[in-house]
Amino acid sequence: MSPGIGSWITLSSALFCIGLVGVMLRRNPIVILLSLEIMLNAGNLLLVAGSRYVGGNDGHVLALTVMGVAAAEVVVGLGLVVALARRGAPLDVDELRSLHG
Amino acid sequence: MNAADYGWLVLLTPLIGLAFNIAVGPSVSRRVVAWVASLSILAGFVLSLLAFIDLLSRDDSQRALVSTGWHWLSAGSFQVDASILVDPLSTVMLLVITGIGFLIHAYSVGYMHGDTEEKRFFAYLNLFVFSMLLLVLAGNFVFLLAGWGLVGLSSYLLIGFWWQRPSAVAAAKKAFVMNAIGDVGMTLGIFVIWNHLHTVDYTTAFALAPGSIGSGSSTANWIALLLLVGAVAKSAQLPLQTWLPDAMEGPTPVSALIHAATMVTAGVYLVARMWPFYSLAPDVADLVAIIGVATLTIAGLIALVQTDIKRVIAYSTMSQIGYMFCGVGIGAYSAGMFHLVTHAFFKALLFLGAGVVIHALHDEQDMRKMGGMGRYLPYTTGLMWIGALSLVGVPPFSGFFSKDQILSDALARGDWVGYTVWGLGLAGAFVTALYTFRLMLLVFHGEPSEYAREQSEAHAGHGEGPSTMLWTIGVLAVGATFAGFLEIPQVTHGMRNFLEPTIPSTIEATGNQDLGTSALAVSLALIGLFCAHVLWGRRSRTTRRIAEATAPLERVLQEKFGFDRLYDWAFYRPASALARGGARLWEQRAVVGSMDAVSNAGSWTSRLLSTAQSGLVRVYALAIAVGIAALAAWFMTGAS
Repeated sequence: MSPGIGSWITLSSALFCIGLVGVMLRRNPIVILLSLEIMLNAGNLLLVAGSRYVGGNDGHVLALTVMGVAAAEVVVGLGLVVALARRGAPLDVDELRSLHG
Repeated sequence: MNAADYGWLVLLTPLIGLAFNIAVGPSVSRRVVAWVASLSILAGFVLSLLAFIDLLSRDDSQRALVSTGWHWLSAGSFQVDASILVDPLSTVMLLVITGIGFLIHAYSVGYMHGDTEEKRFFAYLNLFVFSMLLLVLAGNFVFLLAGWGLVGLSSYLLIGFWWQRPSAVAAAKKAFVMNAIGDVGMTLGIFVIWNHLHTVDYTTAFALAPGSIGSGSSTANWIALLLLVGAVAKSAQLPLQTWLPDAMEGPTPVSALIHAATMVTAGVYLVARMWPFYSLAPDVADLVAIIGVATLTIAGLIALVQTDIKRVIAYSTMSQIGYMFCGVGIGAYSAGMFHLVTHAFFKALLFLGAGVVIHALHDEQDMRKMGGMGRYLPYTTGLMWIGALSLVGVPPFSGFFSKDQILSDALARGDWVGYTVWGLGLAGAFVTALYTFRLMLLVFHGEPSEYAREQSEAHAGHGEGPSTMLWTIGVLAVGATFAGFLEIPQVTHGMRNFLEPTIPSTIEATGNQDLGTSALAVSLALIGLFCAHVLWGRRSRTTRRIAEATAPLERVLQEKFGFDRLYDWAFYRPASALARGGARLWEQRAVVGSMDAVSNAGSWTSRLLSTAQSGLVRVYALAIAVGIAALAAWFMTGAS
């Protein structure tokens, strides 16, 4: 007997909130990227659970797409982090605000 | 080919010179441009002569030829044809414009030689001749107005020809503005004509005028008065006369052609051409004569104290045009036109002779720095004496016949206007003699000034100037001497008979009136010569005493009766104060202020909004989260 859809939603929401809090509170860009990943995967979990619940394959396909996009996003994000580290810039997003208005 | 065809060709000739100057000019030498410009006017003169001969071969009644080239403009009932009118009056003007015009072009070849912008000068000069020909050949009021405006434009361009001089630019603007006042008056006059006669064609309008406009009616008076405003501005008569002396900033040939021989006499031509209207408005015709007599007196008096040689001649021109206005005002149209023709000869001669002096003294125009030029420029001095005697009206020179004809016709008229013109005209003859001989004595006689001696001796052996400058004034001197024989009182009536088909004569002086007037005028001229000799010919105690006694009068004359100052106070200052006030109150506050307010509001708003873009990634994340939460809450509550 697998857990019901309600449990999956709760788990996914909890993961999403953990990720969100991580994004908002942490200042290290690597950790922010990790937290973002948690939020994306919370979404993926919900997609797959929903797909199973409804009984189709659309959610699975969308989850795979999200993974691909997430991988690409991480490449860019980590690339930025590496570039920052090379220049000796502080690894702190509150210090990196030269694009303010 | 009849006279009208020649008329079209005459109109074309200066344009050929102008087109050559524009198209080929840049790649050929200045001399070629100058000669092509001059010869195109000579061709115009030959064609004018052919037109003249053609007119002479016709019957009196067949001498007014209208030629319509094409239908130029049509708007409802408003029809304008491109038409020219070749009749004795316009032919006389054609001969003067192209004949004197050619001589002055040829003179300019020498005078302007070495000027870096010689080609531009000849382009303007050709443009002027075209405009003037259009003015006199026009067969309707629209083309008249076009010519009228174009001569104003070319006059403006030529007065300001030496644009490096601020005074020349200012003089050009002054002339343009004064002429614009006249143009407005004339345009309004044409509107009134259109409004009452529903045509802008000369022949139709002149034929309709006596029937549809009552003699002495307010319509007739308005038409004549508004056209007179145009004539007064163009001919530098009171009260729009102040631009002409300043116009002497232009090159001397320009002064001779535009500001002596042709353009400034356009006002006289206009009154003569519009005689059907002036004969319907006798009061305005009297006003023409009064303006003329006032101008001739005032301008003559001012000429007495001028020190610039060209300005003396300019005031003399105003004064002589005053005589012409008297002539056409009292109805002696042919006498006025005759004085126009003789004046064109002797005044062009005087200007160009003065140009030789100015050229010899390296652009010095101050008569106080001249003196004794007679020994350096004997040929020019001789010709200048011919011009001077002609201007003063000493027989047998041409000015004598033409001026005395106006005066004796005024006497023959026998009313108060006639007597005023006669009396002040004779007084004017005395003043004319006074200022003319003053000029001759100061410039050509007495001891040469140091400057004159230096300049002249440095150039000794080079002759008096370029040959084109010398033979042209010779030809003008011949004209100034013999043109008068066209109209010997009681003997020949060349001018009057030729103009008869265009303008019927209304007055004819008797032999006694002619004789008496001439005797008086000539004796006054000779007394003037004697007085001038006493005042300026020799330096004695009497001279000094007279100078001291007349000092207050001299100050008034130096001030030119205060016209410039009056206009400065009455028009220039209020207008510029209004403009400054408008600039400060309306433009700065309202126009610039409202624009500033809009842009300030925009930049203030964007500065406010830009604070949201803090650059703090975590704040953005928070904002997104809050936003999503809010949207989610809204959906949930909305859905339920």
